Amino acid sequence: MIAVENLTKRYAGVTAVDNLSFTVKRGEIVGFLGPNGAGKSTTMRILSAFMPATSGKATVAGYDVFTQSEEVRRRIGYMPENNPLYLEMRVSEYLNYRAALKGVSSSKRKTRTDEVLERCGLKDVSRRIVGQLSKGYRQRVGLADSLVHDPDLLILDEPTIGLDPNQIRQVRQLIKDLGKRHTILLSTHILPEVEMTCSRVMIINKGKVVASDTPENLTKLIEGGGTVRAEIRGDRAVIERELGALPGVKNVVIEAGNDGFVCATVYAPPRNDVRVHIYEKAAANKWTLRELSRVRQTLEDVFVSITRVEAPPSKQEEEK
Amino acid sequence: MSKLCTLWQREIAAYFLSPIAYLVMVSFLVLNGVGFWMLVMAFDGRTNDVSVMQIFFGSFFYWIGMLMAVPVITMRLFAEEKRLGTIETLMTAPVSDVVVVWSKFLGAATFFALLWLPTLSYSWLLNQFAAAPTPIDWGPVVMAYIGTMLVGFFYVSLGLMASSLTQNQIIAAIIGFVLIAIMFFLGFMINIGPAWLQSFFGYIGSIDHVRDFSRGQLDLRRVILYISATVFVLFCTQKIVESRKWR
Repeated sequence: MIAVENLTKRYAGVTAVDNLSFTVKRGEIVGFLGPNGAGKSTTMRILSAFMPATSGKATVAGYDVFTQSEEVRRRIGYMPENNPLYLEMRVSEYLNYRAALKGVSSSKRKTRTDEVLERCGLKDVSRRIVGQLSKGYRQRVGLADSLVHDPDLLILDEPTIGLDPNQIRQVRQLIKDLGKRHTILLSTHILPEVEMTCSRVMIINKGKVVASDTPENLTKLIEGGGTVRAEIRGDRAVIERELGALPGVKNVVIEAGNDGFVCATVYAPPRNDVRVHIYEKAAANKWTLRELSRVRQTLEDVFVSITRVEAPPSKQEEEK
Repeated sequence: MSKLCTLWQREIAAYFLSPIAYLVMVSFLVLNGVGFWMLVMAFDGRTNDVSVMQIFFGSFFYWIGMLMAVPVITMRLFAEEKRLGTIETLMTAPVSDVVVVWSKFLGAATFFALLWLPTLSYSWLLNQFAAAPTPIDWGPVVMAYIGTMLVGFFYVSLGLMASSLTQNQIIAAIIGFVLIAIMFFLGFMINIGPAWLQSFFGYIGSIDHVRDFSRGQLDLRRVILYISATVFVLFCTQKIVESRKWR
């Protein structure tokens, strides 16, 4: 659906996208993840044919985004960052206008707008003025707009930014549902979002893809099942010494609780399950064991470890 | 073509969905109404060899209206889209830049034409309430309106270009006003500088053109001048809009 080859975009003096290559297959929901100024919005703007790249090639559904940009634009639904809308129009009016602009024939326009109103939960507010709607509803209007011509590909730039937790949940659910019928490329810097909605995550930093895999695999990549957390009642020093002596354990961090239990975080290399050893140790020493669990690392840890080198506040951010 | 129509409708609707349209219309009517009334008062009880309408087109109030209304009409066209970010949703829809520029121009030009609609009644009013009605000579009146539209549309295109340069509506209005004012004041410079410059200013300054149109003269050179100048400015605007692609 999307093929990007060696894409580079330079603004005056700043490289926003640096030799980027990736592909997105039909039916995928791909999350574009990265810190602010990583080049997410720039890439999406190039893909939606809003501006061209400095060099490199990008095709959407087989059409070049620069030379065949109208063909590309016909096939994508793009929702820019901050979801710009004409605030003075009514919801149904706006969607009808957008449908006409995107070439939905006048005979089909009514059914198409009704359908997206329904799918995005906008039926009740279709007569309201966009500017008077809450942010969550406006976001849905933006989504409805990107859907109204039934595009093959949806490009959503930070679709849940600025929403409250309830609204975020609703929009995510909506995106998930949309993923059943459309290919979706969405960007975010909220990690749980990609974990929940996407079938594949691309982590992008300083204009480059640094990792690309399913959320599960990316999590495994770092975690490897090594770290274990245990809550034990017993003498702190003894526990630290005994656990540290277990085979394969690299490090033990002990925190004292206030009810006599201590919380031990045991670091061991991947594929070395120390839980059994800890249990046996506890049984042998007659410690009371309250909790013994593997620490599941989140994408957040993956993200932090991959993009750890903090860039100084870049110009790209200002340009957004 | 249907997309041009869709965008054009949206542009006109946008005027009437904001208070600016009503404000401009009312101010414009008041201004022209006062101007017309003053002319009628001045001419009252005298015999003249020129009609009131001829003086009206090209009068002080007429030009104030032209110079002030057009930048206010055109300032939002691109500047507002840029500030709101809707330029992105607009330009990523399957429409070409040419269509966007022309639809915005046509929308503003339509609104400009609508401003003049109530003044059509002036000739009729004159005749209705004059002590000794004379048959209206429609030729000069029609020509005056044609001239006003030609000059006005050219000014609208200048205002549109100004709007495409910035995302601040106030700045767009000021740039637009300056560009339009230059075209207007060139008409005053026909006595300054070397002869070739004087005649050049005479060719492009707007004042004389409107005066001649209101006398009923159809000078084809001027019609062509305004149409081609308008098309040229719209072409420049299109290039400015496209410039996001190569900047």
